[in-house]
Amino acid sequence: MDETKKNPRSANESLIVVIITVLIFVLALSALKLPFFKSLILIVFCVAGMLVAERRGLMEQLFLLYIRHRKLACLICALCVLAVPMVLATDRYVAHIAVMAVIYAMVCLGLNFQMGSTNMVNFAPAAFMGIGAYSLAVITGKMGMSPWFGMLMAVIFCTIAGLVIGLPTLRTKGYYLSLVTMALQLAFTQLIKNIPYLGGPNGIAGVKTFDLFGLPLYKSYTVFGVKLVPQAPYLLFCLIILGVLIYIAMRVYLSRSGLALNAIAQDEVAADCLGIDVTRHKLFAFVIGSIFCGIGGALYAGLIGFVGPTDFTFARSLVFICMVILGGMDSVMGVVLGAFLLTVITEKLRDFSDYAQLVYALILIVMLIARPCGLLPKRVRNYCLLFNRDLKEVDNHAGSTD
Amino acid sequence: MDFFLCLVFNAILLGCTYTLVAIGFSLFFGVMNVVVFCCGDIAVFGAFSMMGAYAVVYSTGIFEVLPFAVCVMLLLLIGALFCTVLCLCVYRFSIKPFEKASDLMPLLSTIALGTVVKEVLGLFFQPIVNAASTAAATDTAMTVVSGRNPQAFPTLIAPGGSIDLRNIIVIAVTVFLLLALYVFLNKTKTGLSMQAVSQNKELSYMVGINVFKTTVLTFVVGSIMLAIGGFLIGNYQTILSFDDGAMYGVKGFAAAVVGGLRNTFGAVIGGMLLAFVEVFVSGYIPGGTAYASICAFVIVVLFIIFKPEGIIGDKSIEKV
Repeated sequence: MDETKKNPRSANESLIVVIITVLIFVLALSALKLPFFKSLILIVFCVAGMLVAERRGLMEQLFLLYIRHRKLACLICALCVLAVPMVLATDRYVAHIAVMAVIYAMVCLGLNFQMGSTNMVNFAPAAFMGIGAYSLAVITGKMGMSPWFGMLMAVIFCTIAGLVIGLPTLRTKGYYLSLVTMALQLAFTQLIKNIPYLGGPNGIAGVKTFDLFGLPLYKSYTVFGVKLVPQAPYLLFCLIILGVLIYIAMRVYLSRSGLALNAIAQDEVAADCLGIDVTRHKLFAFVIGSIFCGIGGALYAGLIGFVGPTDFTFARSLVFICMVILGGMDSVMGVVLGAFLLTVITEKLRDFSDYAQLVYALILIVMLIARPCGLLPKRVRNYCLLFNRDLKEVDNHAGSTD
Repeated sequence: MDFFLCLVFNAILLGCTYTLVAIGFSLFFGVMNVVVFCCGDIAVFGAFSMMGAYAVVYSTGIFEVLPFAVCVMLLLLIGALFCTVLCLCVYRFSIKPFEKASDLMPLLSTIALGTVVKEVLGLFFQPIVNAASTAAATDTAMTVVSGRNPQAFPTLIAPGGSIDLRNIIVIAVTVFLLLALYVFLNKTKTGLSMQAVSQNKELSYMVGINVFKTTVLTFVVGSIMLAIGGFLIGNYQTILSFDDGAMYGVKGFAAAVVGGLRNTFGAVIGGMLLAFVEVFVSGYIPGGTAYASICAFVIVVLFIIFKPEGIIGDKSIEKV
């Protein structure tokens, strides 16, 4: 592995990273834009291709490649993200689906901390999302304050809710924990339906959306002579927040806390014996998860401009669980993929919306039986590559597997 | 005072429905060590299959030939049969594949299967029934509306009798079932082998119990309980919606946990406790009807935190 050989290979690899990143974005956008039937065929082909690549070990290589060139990958991703609103400029409906997919991805990332990393099945992500959405709605719609303050309050309320729900979990696990969260979810729906201040079944209308330096984010702008749909700036905003959340989730996954959460998932008693503070970590998983859900909920309220109890039901929670399982538990990119796929499939099947719940449930069962690790399963954490330690050995290793 | 008695009566009725669903939970949990979360959906499925069977049977005119009670028994039998088939499907498709996997897999898969059952009911109930019984729907009061709409459950207990009489029959049926279950579990060889399997699987293998057969049999017994539970739910509510199962499932599981998940008859106490709380909250607290379920959930959460083994039930000590 002398220097002369390394450079062209590195250049080649960079090229591959660029091409594949752009390809991913193009595929995602075309899945969004194509009409119903073509889009589904595209998704089926992509998933099949992914599974084949996984079997051949290509996905593993790809992940290593991305870790090695992560700065470049981030740069390309940022450029693509900037281009996304321009590409979706003309189609209101597609832009709306894209924003929904991004918001659902945030909620799923939050759920993943509990369900994926710690093996605590939380049946209440929709309730946490609802807490976030209602905080924003009350602060802006009822009190007329700034939506940014509403977002802050959403985060604070979700932290409190996460703590309150997290506390019983310290004493329970498995089924009992699931029952607690289920009870919370059902009670939440009942509560918001019955509190007159929160609008009861009618919900709260007139939620103000976010603005940046006086520029509202939900408005039609004209950039480079192209008239953008009102969702476009909001999509950009959500994508940036999703990027930040993905970064946080990845850091948590790679940190000691992430390892501790996995240890608790494997065996709580053993983790306790190893000196892991089980209490602290379980609470941490709940709080950070609920904050993610709350941010998603606040953005959701900002997009729709209205919150109502029907948006945050038990059925919605099941959809989130289905997304996490479809994508791959404890795999950050997998969860995002799962959220995207399921949102797009749902929206494309809008004509058959009666069957939506049935489709979710069937997907869930099939995934659990056929591929419980998800479409994009979690990887072994590769600390060597991440922290650039012992590069030589890593290079040797990579060379031998080529 | 009269109001009070009325509430007690109502609470006992509601408790009966919770109890039967909860017994289903604890039977399944005992033998498989797995929470089958779709019990509520199975019970509602049983009620719906009876409703469909009623429409079909009525159109054939059997009700005019045979005595009414026999016809009701026939309907119960059909409902139990449907439930049993469904339960065995649940066992095959959402529990058996995950026997060696983590505990949470069957939890998710049974919930998903429950959703499938629910949605299938909502989507296909009305077309199937209508195709079979267009004659019945026209000349009787039975008009089957779209599957997603709430369906009127036919009065199958003492038609023409007073509501009190009907309610007393419901309670009597439950008590009779509980006694029968008690005798079955404690006095017959099959029942004892079920208990043995639920206490220690390995040892049951050693003493020559056919564990697989016993498991399947437990599912059959549990599904019969659930079918009758669904029948009682239908009679209690008189109007049944396809998605009632989710609420009954959670309440039934909550009742089983409050009573003690490992103890089959703890479910009775748990179910009654939850029902009493709900009914009295909605009876005595002004505007409390909306918060009745919430109070029940609060009680469940408190139980889980402070007494997770339930009212009757042995404290399990975690061993490493």
